[in-house]
Amino acid sequence: MTRNIYMDDNDVYEFQAEDDDGDDDDDDDEFSIEFYNHKDNDSVIFQNDIFCEDELDQQVPLRHKGIMSKIVDCKYKEYGDEDKGILEDDLPIIEYSCLTAGNIYSLMLNRASKLQPVFNIPISDVIVLLQKYNWCEERMLEAYTDDAKAVLDSAGILIGENSELFSRLKTRDGFVCPICCESSETMKTFSLECGHEYCLTCYQHYISDKLNVGNIIKCMNCELALKNDDIDIIMGEGSSTKLMLSSIKGFIQKHSQYYKWCPFTDCKYVIHVKNTMSLTQLNRKYLSPYVICDNKHQFCFNCSLEVHAPCDCIVASFWVRKAQEESENLNWMLQNTKECPKCNVNIEKNGGCNHMTCRSCSYEFCWLCEGDWSTHKGSYYQCILYDEKKQNKKGDDEKKIKLHKYSYYYKLFNVHESSAQLDMKLGLTVEQKVKSLQDNLGISWIEGQFIPEAIEKIVNGRTVLKWSFAVAYYSDHSHNMYKILEQNQMELSKAVEELSELLEIKDPKQIMDRKLDFYNMSDYVEKRSNALVECGRELLIKGICIPRDS
Amino acid sequence: MSLKRITKELNDLGRDPPTSCSAGPVGDDLYHWQASIMGPPDSPYAGGVFFLSIHFPTDYPFKPPKISFTTKIYHPNINANGNICLDILKDQWSPALTISKVLLSICSLLTDANPDDPLVPEIAHIYKTDRAKYEATAKEWTKKYAI
Repeated sequence: MTRNIYMDDNDVYEFQAEDDDGDDDDDDDEFSIEFYNHKDNDSVIFQNDIFCEDELDQQVPLRHKGIMSKIVDCKYKEYGDEDKGILEDDLPIIEYSCLTAGNIYSLMLNRASKLQPVFNIPISDVIVLLQKYNWCEERMLEAYTDDAKAVLDSAGILIGENSELFSRLKTRDGFVCPICCESSETMKTFSLECGHEYCLTCYQHYISDKLNVGNIIKCMNCELALKNDDIDIIMGEGSSTKLMLSSIKGFIQKHSQYYKWCPFTDCKYVIHVKNTMSLTQLNRKYLSPYVICDNKHQFCFNCSLEVHAPCDCIVASFWVRKAQEESENLNWMLQNTKECPKCNVNIEKNGGCNHMTCRSCSYEFCWLCEGDWSTHKGSYYQCILYDEKKQNKKGDDEKKIKLHKYSYYYKLFNVHESSAQLDMKLGLTVEQKVKSLQDNLGISWIEGQFIPEAIEKIVNGRTVLKWSFAVAYYSDHSHNMYKILEQNQMELSKAVEELSELLEIKDPKQIMDRKLDFYNMSDYVEKRSNALVECGRELLIKGICIPRDS
Repeated sequence: MSLKRITKELNDLGRDPPTSCSAGPVGDDLYHWQASIMGPPDSPYAGGVFFLSIHFPTDYPFKPPKISFTTKIYHPNINANGNICLDILKDQWSPALTISKVLLSICSLLTDANPDDPLVPEIAHIYKTDRAKYEATAKEWTKKYAI
C-alpha cells in the first residue's frame, strides 16, 4: 500500500511505500522510496540564470523534486493485468523549486550585493543595471567589461563623487512646476543630480503608472534613472518593491524555459526548473514534466496544461485545439446535456454515477452509451468501447463518421471531466460528515484521511481516463495495442465507477464501516491509472497514436 | 491641473510662436485643438499645409495628447486615417514634452521618415526600394490635398 508522508521539518515531500499489500511475492513496490539529497545532484548551470544553485538552496528549500511526476507517470513498465510494478530507474528527475516573485526578488537582491564589489558603484545602481539587462548577470558583465561608461550612460547612471550627498527633496517658495504650472509657498519638489526639478505631486503622478510596467523610471526630462531609494522617497517606503516585482515578472516571462507561472487562476507561484536537460530527456520518453506548486496545483511544465497523461504534450495540444474549434454551443450541449434515448427530454447530469433515470419517463439508461441500463448488468462497462462498425452503418458519409467519432470521444472526455468535478464536490460533503463523526465518536484526523485520499485517486483516475480518450481518438484502431488500451480504459472506468459509488454513500457510519473498501478501491484505481498511462505511452512510442488535424 | 498646463502652453505658443507650425483650441474647448504644420522645404511635402487635430486627455501631461492628421498625406509612418506612428506619442512620452516640441518632431518626421518601423508597409517598401517613386507620389498627394 502506498502512502504519502509529508514531513514538515525539512519541507521535502517524501513518498514512502511499504510492501504491506499482503502478498508474499517480491514485487517491487518500493518504487518511490526517495531520500532526496539535492547537494549530491549535478546541477546544470545555465547561462541565463542569475543566481547560483547554492544560493537558491539556502534560500528556498527544494521541494517535491518532481517525484510526483515519477509516481504519476512512470511507475509501471507493464500495462498488463498483473499487479507488478516495475520502476524505470533511468528516468530523469526534474529538479525544481516553487517560488514567488518576492522570493526571486530577494534572491536577486542578494546577488546584487555580491556583485557590488565588482562594479564598485552603489548597490542601488547595480540594481538599476540588472533591471536594464533583464536580470541577466552574464550579459550585464559582458557589456560592462566591453564599455563601462556606455553601459552606465545607457542605464542613466551618473557616477559622481557627491551623488550620495545630493539633496533630492526640497521645500521651495515661489517655485512654478513646469509640469502642472502650479505654485505655492511651501511646495515640495524633487530633482535628480541633473537638476530637472518638478513638484512632488507631479513626480508621484508620473511614477505611479510606471510601477506596474517594470522598466527603469527616468527623469522626466533626461535619461537619468531614478533609483529605488528615490522612488521610496517620492512614493513612500516600499514602493520600489512594486516596481521590482513588475520587473521580475518581465524576467520570468522572458525566461519561460526555466520559469513558469502556475497556470491555475489566482495562483501566485512560479516554478523554477533547474535542470532543463531533464525536460528534453522526459520528452524523448514520451513523458511530460509534471510539477506541483505549493498550492498543490499540478500542471505540465512544458505546455502549462493540467496533467494530461497518457497523452504527451503534442497529442494533448492537438486535442485541445480540436476542442476549441468546435463551437461553444455544441460544447455546452455535449458537456452538460443529453437527450433521453426514449422520450428525447434534455437531461443534465448532476451526479457522479453513470446510471441515469429519466425523470420524465423513468427510463433507466447508461450515461455513456445511452443504452438500456439493464443490459449493463453482466458486463457493466462495455459501453466505453467505440464500435466503428456500428457507426459505419449509421452514416455512409465519411465526414459524418469522423465527426461522429470525434464527438463520441469528446463526450467521453467531458463525461469524465465533469464527473471528476462532481466527485470533488461530493467528496467535500462526505468529508464534512466524517468530520462531524470525528467530533462525536472521537475518530482521529489521521483515520479520516482515507476520504480525501480516495478523492485524490478518483480525480487522478478520471483525469487519466479523460486524456486516454484523446490518445484513443488519434490511434490506429486496427492495431492490437489499441485493443489493449481499450481493455485498460474499461478496467479503469470500472474501478473509478466503483470508487465513485463508494463515495456516494451518505451515512457516515456506513462510510467508516467500509473504510477498508475505500482503501482497497483507491489503491486499485491508482494501479489501474498507472497501467493505463503506461499503455497509452506505449502507443505513442510505437507510433500507433499519431495526432493529426482532420 | 491639466487645464492650467494647457493654458500655459497656449500662452507660450502665442508669446514665442514656432516658425513652421501653429496650434490653438477649436472653439471654447481647451482640450481640443487644431494645429497646422508647413511641409518642410527639403521634403516632398514642401509648399503644403497640413492640418492636425489634437485631443488632450484629462490626465495630461502624464498621458500623451492624441494627435492625428486631418489632411491626407503620403508617408510611411502616417496611415489613411491620419494616425501617426511616433514613439514620443506613445511609450516614449514624457510629461516634460510640450505640444510645440511634439509638432517640431512631426515636422522632422516628414523630412526623415522611419521606414524600418512603418505604419503603412506598402509605402515603406516603395520608400526603401524606389525613392524617386515615393517622392513623386508624395509630391502629387501634397499638391492634390495640401495646397
